[in-house]
Amino acid sequence: MDIEGNLNIIGYGLAAIGPGVGVGLIFGLGVQAIARQPEARGLLQGQMLIGFALTEVLALIGLVLAFIL
Amino acid sequence: MSDEAFHAAAGEDCHLFGDNNCGFEEVAPTVSVFFPEPFMEFGLPLTAGITKYTLMLVISVLLVMGFWYLATRRAAVVPGRLQSVAEMLVTFIRDQVTRQQMGQAGDKYLPMMVTLFLFIFVMNAMGIIPGLQLPVTSHIAYPAALAIYVYVMWNAIGIKKHGVAGHFVGRVVPGGTPKWILPLLVPIEIAQNFIAKPVTHALRPFAAMLSGHLLLAVFAAGGFYMFNLGADGFLSVVSVGYSGLALVAFVVFTGFELFIMALQAYVFIMLASSYLGEALEGQH
Repeated sequence: MDIEGNLNIIGYGLAAIGPGVGVGLIFGLGVQAIARQPEARGLLQGQMLIGFALTEVLALIGLVLAFIL
Repeated sequence: MSDEAFHAAAGEDCHLFGDNNCGFEEVAPTVSVFFPEPFMEFGLPLTAGITKYTLMLVISVLLVMGFWYLATRRAAVVPGRLQSVAEMLVTFIRDQVTRQQMGQAGDKYLPMMVTLFLFIFVMNAMGIIPGLQLPVTSHIAYPAALAIYVYVMWNAIGIKKHGVAGHFVGRVVPGGTPKWILPLLVPIEIAQNFIAKPVTHALRPFAAMLSGHLLLAVFAAGGFYMFNLGADGFLSVVSVGYSGLALVAFVVFTGFELFIMALQAYVFIMLASSYLGEALEGQH
């Protein structure tokens, strides 16, 4: 069987697993925290988004590297 | 859908079930979308001349300036429609971003954050305006310039508030760590604070916009590729069905992309305020 294409894309797919799990954990636990303490919503949402941004950038670095390598 | 028009003009008769046995890879968009031909070149090294990006940047600057001009032209205590939109934006960013990250001292940097948010959002939203359809931030130069601006501000505020030594020691030596671990920790902190933070700050809107625009372009090109009324008999019905699916996905992802655009602009100012807040705080 012949497989054509670029190996970088498979690498990117593998690199996106970790950030995917991470983003899921952040929002899952964030929603849980809001459900336990609804009055802390504003504070928690800010922290959730910072955590999301820091995790998401790993997947985005993978995407950029898949293009430039 | 300008992407389709672009491919119709550029490509030959390339369709699903076509006679010339044409594959999708011949019309699929590539990264060359992000390197448009310059309108005018100056021949300077490391420059791209005046391209579509420059034109779109000018349009976004004019849009943002026009919005603030119209919203604040007749500022009144009882706000008009446009003024209340602007006020909602400012109070939202004050309550959700600057006061959360920097406290009351952050009010001084509120105008900067509001401007950055609206500017980045408009630059991103250029990607879904019909006829233009190229997010300005999908070229690394534009987010990089904004990230360098935030980086310079971050250092300037820290140095002004805590002095040169105070700022740099506060950044590279985490408070309350034992002395023997410092040789291990300080290089990591330097790499983290002075290299990784500004680089990822610029990379985040860039990569999100690049991937989002490429996704939309693939769906638009796919819809065009699969639309073939000339195929014999039943196959033309199948091709129209496929193309309809691709175009529905295109519309759905356009809406999703709009959400991502606002989120990326929000995350950018969120991190900018968190960095500035760190610099204001000093030793952490």
